[in-house]
Amino acid sequence: MKLIEFSGDHLDVLRELMNIAVGNATASIADLLKAFGTMHIPKITISDITGLKQYIQDTIPSENSHYVTKQLFGGPLGGEFIFVITDESAINLGNHLYDIDAPNDADIYDAVIELTNILSATMISRLTEELNVKVQFFVPSTQIIKGNDLIDLDEAQGYVQVIIISTQMEFQNQNINGHIFILTKDAMIQSLKDLIDQKLEELYA
Amino acid sequence: MKILVADDSKLARLSLMKIVKELEPSCEVIEADNGQIAIEKFQENSPSIVFLDLTMPIIDGYEALTQILEINPKAQVVVVTADIQSQAQAQVMALGAKMVIPKPISSEKMQTVLQQLVF
Repeated sequence: MKLIEFSGDHLDVLRELMNIAVGNATASIADLLKAFGTMHIPKITISDITGLKQYIQDTIPSENSHYVTKQLFGGPLGGEFIFVITDESAINLGNHLYDIDAPNDADIYDAVIELTNILSATMISRLTEELNVKVQFFVPSTQIIKGNDLIDLDEAQGYVQVIIISTQMEFQNQNINGHIFILTKDAMIQSLKDLIDQKLEELYA
Repeated sequence: MKILVADDSKLARLSLMKIVKELEPSCEVIEADNGQIAIEKFQENSPSIVFLDLTMPIIDGYEALTQILEINPKAQVVVVTADIQSQAQAQVMALGAKMVIPKPISSEKMQTVLQQLVF
């Protein structure tokens, strides 16, 4: 299968649109937490599946346990939204959202899912709005993973090429820090490229 | 009228320039893709308005804003940012920006900015 190439202009458009999307998401979470968050510029990487595993291992510390929430989205643009937060940050999140000292496991799961829903809805919706398409979100699922082996090889089978959009959500005063990955693959990469081409045509018209 | 657009994203610069040109075809738009070049182009051209992104390489928007206002304390700098948190906006206003507007900028918003700052 021929790999799809993105030009500098394609990457610039994607980075800028994601920058806007991350700005919106940070503001939404800041409202939820009544706190100020640090925005991190999204990194865009095009890789094969081995590169994805390596990227995640380089980004996520191996010594922690993590709440990993995955949510699929589909439509003219499809992919997977992954939110990764350490167990310590997840407890702080539950603590902060429910205003209780020792949130139970159900509260923590609920808080992580809620945060992921807001993040994915805000970021993906903002991105797709800019690209003039609509997507459908599927129910997210959360699991606790020890270390940083977040990608299941069975899940990854058949992936030829992956676009990794990664950023960080950081609320320093609340000690809440999470990583966000948006993965899109194969045919959807071509869809994304086509949508960006349309955006560029509008710009140069 | 001269306008300086400083943003490391080509998409952001082109989008903003296109809106300005539609509203004010005679306007001369100068581009900068980092904070250092923005400061240099500001010194060379004395633009009526500077549209400044915050996250840029070499010198970021916060530092560029500070240096531009040191060169000309009356400079009209509009910060254009994806960070729409009120605290972030208050921070750049405290540094001396005339306005903070969220990305992506619309034609209507640009019209308001030009009317308030130039006409």
